[in-house]
Amino acid sequence: MATVRFFATIRQLTGQKETSLRSDTVQELLQALAEKHGVGFQKAVYGPGGLSDEAIILINGRHLEHLPAGLKTKLENEDVVAIFPLVGGG
Amino acid sequence: MYGWVGKILRVDLTSGKVSTEPLNTSLARKFIGARGLAEKILRDEIAPDIDPLSAENKLIFATGPLTGTLATSGSRYNVVTKGPLTGTVAASNSGGFFGPELKYAGYDLVIIEGKANKPMYLWIYNDKVKLRCAEHLWGKLTDEATDLLLEETDPEAKVSCIGPGGENLVLFAGIINDKHRAAGRTGVGAVMGSKKLKAIVVRGTGGVKVADKDAFREAVLDARAKLKAHPVTSGGLPTYGTNVLINILNEAGSLPTYNFRTGYFETADKISGETMADTKYVRNKACTACTIACGQVSAVKSGPYAVAGEGPEYEATWAYGSQCGVDDVDAIIKANNLCDQLGIDPITMGSTIACAMELFEEGLIDREAAGLALNFGNAEAIVKLTEDAGYKRGLGAELAEGSYRLAERYGRPELSMSVKKQEMPAYDPRGIQGIGLEYATSNRGACHVRGYLISPEILGIPEKLDPDSIDEKPGWLKTFQDLTAALDSTGICLFTTFAIGAPEIAAMLSAATGVEYTVDDFMQAGDRIWNLERLFNLEAGLTAADDKLPPRMIEEPIATGPNKGKVSKVPEMMSKYYQVRGWDDDGVPTGEKLAELGLA
Repeated sequence: MATVRFFATIRQLTGQKETSLRSDTVQELLQALAEKHGVGFQKAVYGPGGLSDEAIILINGRHLEHLPAGLKTKLENEDVVAIFPLVGGG
Repeated sequence: MYGWVGKILRVDLTSGKVSTEPLNTSLARKFIGARGLAEKILRDEIAPDIDPLSAENKLIFATGPLTGTLATSGSRYNVVTKGPLTGTVAASNSGGFFGPELKYAGYDLVIIEGKANKPMYLWIYNDKVKLRCAEHLWGKLTDEATDLLLEETDPEAKVSCIGPGGENLVLFAGIINDKHRAAGRTGVGAVMGSKKLKAIVVRGTGGVKVADKDAFREAVLDARAKLKAHPVTSGGLPTYGTNVLINILNEAGSLPTYNFRTGYFETADKISGETMADTKYVRNKACTACTIACGQVSAVKSGPYAVAGEGPEYEATWAYGSQCGVDDVDAIIKANNLCDQLGIDPITMGSTIACAMELFEEGLIDREAAGLALNFGNAEAIVKLTEDAGYKRGLGAELAEGSYRLAERYGRPELSMSVKKQEMPAYDPRGIQGIGLEYATSNRGACHVRGYLISPEILGIPEKLDPDSIDEKPGWLKTFQDLTAALDSTGICLFTTFAIGAPEIAAMLSAATGVEYTVDDFMQAGDRIWNLERLFNLEAGLTAADDKLPPRMIEEPIATGPNKGKVSKVPEMMSKYYQVRGWDDDGVPTGEKLAELGLA
C-alpha cells in the first residue's frame, strides 16, 4: 500500500494528514482520492479535467512531472505520495 | 523629482556634522535606488579592503523609487555596507514601515560615516535632523528601546535600531525596524554598533510624487490583480506564512537536518506552517502597501517558552528546527523572538548552534564550556545559546563569530555550513542543484534571496525545472540574480515575483519615475548591479576560489530520505556560469562586459 500525505489546503479538503491506499498507478490512486473527497479535491488536485495546474504532487520526493511515466507511474508498497497546493515562501 | 525624492542625508558621527546633498539623477537612473544605488556610492566612497568595523566603513540606509508609493509591497529599504561576517559587500533588505517614512521625511538615502565617541541616535523630523545621546538606551532590547524612543520623539515616528547583538559586535547582528522586521543578514547591525549608533528614528509628513498618475495607477492595479489571482500570494502565504515550506522541502528530501548531515527530518510536521497555523498564529500583519500580508503574529501562551511577537519565518524555523534537530515549536518561537530582541540573524545563529552541536558530538566542545549538553535535539540549548551569543557570554562569545570562525577555532572548518563565511539557508543544495550554484556565487555569502531558484526547482513557478538537472541552471540563475538585484533596488518585495515579473515591475517603475525602463533596461540594471558587487568583492580580496560550497555538499551524499545518495554538482556548473555572466575563467568580469554595462 502506498502512503499518501496531504498538506496545507489539501489537508483541509481531505480532513486527513495521511492515508494508505492500494493502487497500481498514480492515476488510479488520484482517481480513488477524487471519488472519495469530491469536487473540492477534483478542482484542486485531480478530476475529470485531469491534473490541476495548482497542485504539486511528489512521488518519493520527485515531482510527478519529472517521472518518465507521469500519471502511469507504477506504485509499489512503501511508496510515498505527497500532495500540496501551489505554495511559496522564502 | 518623481519616485525618488531627490535628497541624500549625510551624517558624520565623528564630527557630529549633518548635511544634505542632491541625489545624482544620472546614477539613480543607472542603479535605480536602494541596493544598487547605495552599493555604487559605497564602492565610490570606501576602499573595499578596509576593516568593516573601522570608522572608515560607511553604513547606508537606502530606499528605492517605489518605496513608500502605492506600488505593490513597496515597503522595502536596504542597509548597505562592507559586511563584517563575510568581508564582502553587504546589503540587507527589510520591510515594515521605516523605509517609507524615510521617503516621507524627504530622503532617498541616509549615509552614516565615522564613529561616535559615545552612544547616539539620529532623530529625523522632516528637515530637522539631530544627533542625540543614547547612553540611556545602550544595552536595551530592541522592543524596549523602540518604545522609549517613540516616547521621547514622536509616537508616530518609525524606529530602526540595534539590540545588544549589534552593540556587542556579534558578527551577524542585524538591524530591527518596527520591532520585528529585520535587515537581518550579513552583520549590518555590528557595523552600526561599531559606530555607536543605537537607532535612527524618523518622522516624515511629506509624500512621494509619481510622474504619470494614470499610468502608475493602471500598472499598480494590474500588479495587484495578479497578486490577488495567484494562489501563493493570495492563499498560501497569508494562511500559513513562509513556514508552509517546511513540509514541502522535507517531502522533497531537501530540508537540511542535523547540520546538513541529511535532508529529511522525521518530525518536520511538528514545526510546519500547518501546525503553527492551527496552534500558534494569532493574526496576519502586512507591511506598507502590501496585499499579501505574509507576516504572522504568533504566541506561545504558557510554559517555559511563553512569548508573543511576530514570526518565526521559514528560515528561522528551519535554522533552530531541523538544522538543530529540534521539533519543539515553542522553543523555536522563543529563540526567534530572542533574535529580534537582541538584534541578530536567526539563520546564522541557528546554523552556528547546529555546528556547535556537531562539534560537541564529535567531542571537541565539552559540556562544561557549553553550560549544558549540546546534543542535536536539545531545545533548551537553542534558547540559552542564542542569549549567550547576543551577550557574548561563555561559549556564546565564540558562537558570536559565526560557524566558520567557530569550527576553525576547533580545527574543523569543514563543519561550518557556510559560503564566504555566511551560513547556507534552508534548502539542501545536494537535492536542488540550482540553489547550490546560487549559494556559491551570491555576492554576500550564501543566500537564497539573491536568486531564488527554489521557485522553479521545487515550487514550479514560473515553470517546473528538474532539481537534479544542471545544464540549464547557470542561465536561469543569471536571470534570477539580475531580476532580484533590479527588484531589490526599486523598493518592492521579492514575494511579489511569485505573481509578477520584470514587465509589471518595469511598468510601475517607469510610471513612478518618468524614466522609461524597458524590460531589457530593467534586467540590464540588475546585471550592472550584480557586476558592481562582484567588482567590490574582487577589490576586497575575494577570488574564484571563494565561489564554493562546504566540502560536505560535494563529498558526503545526503544520508537519508528521498535524496539519499545525492551530492552537489556545483563545480561542474561554475565555468558555464562564469561564461553566461561574461566573466573570464577566474570569475573576473571582462572589459567588454564592463563596457557593455557602463562600469568600465
